[in-house]
Amino acid sequence: MAQFTLQLDPANGPVLTVVIGVSVARGDALMTAGQPVPAGISARALIDTGASCTCVDPSILAKFALTPTGTVSVHTPSTGPAAHLAEQYDVSLIIPGAGAHHVPLALPAIPVMAADLSVQGIDSLIGRDVLRDCIFIYNGSVGLFTIAF
Amino acid sequence: MPLERESATYREKLPELAKHEGRYVLIHGADVVDTFASYEDALRQGYRQFGLQPFLVKQIQSSELVQFITRAVEPRLRA
Repeated sequence: MAQFTLQLDPANGPVLTVVIGVSVARGDALMTAGQPVPAGISARALIDTGASCTCVDPSILAKFALTPTGTVSVHTPSTGPAAHLAEQYDVSLIIPGAGAHHVPLALPAIPVMAADLSVQGIDSLIGRDVLRDCIFIYNGSVGLFTIAF
Repeated sequence: MPLERESATYREKLPELAKHEGRYVLIHGADVVDTFASYEDALRQGYRQFGLQPFLVKQIQSSELVQFITRAVEPRLRA
């Protein structure tokens, strides 16, 4: 099991760099259609146990020219008392290890929701849909967090 | 609106699909293509069969599971 420990970001907490790209299946479809497959993009991601699903800032999704392949009902503080329908996009997500000797957590396809996050200094929320494959330890007393997968 | 037709198909066919609760359905237009054990399998078949045309992959839930995000974010909602 790969495990690494990072310092908590003073502003946002457990933030790490991930790589977001088109899903492997979409990449194959792009190649079949003779179109280039966009390279993955490094993104600042906040591990958020309060998010049941993973979210990505639309500015990143726009670079992949994605069309939605899913819909989901979502409730956030901004949606009021009722849940609303949001679109989901299929992407790949890689959480690199802390070094070359670590095996990354590579998800070839997960559905993510578009949410404006860049104003908060992050590009993505890593939700519990990803954390279900991980061990996550928040050690606030020493300002560190550990993720293992 | 993207996936409007596919979403309508899902709602219309949900009573029949409910026996596959928890599986992932692939829908293109008014056609329910098949159900799959995993999201990735359904997605792969969607791209293989329809290329870059619109299609919907959705987990079958007789009662729609609501996703919660406690952080103050502005999700991009369908109009």
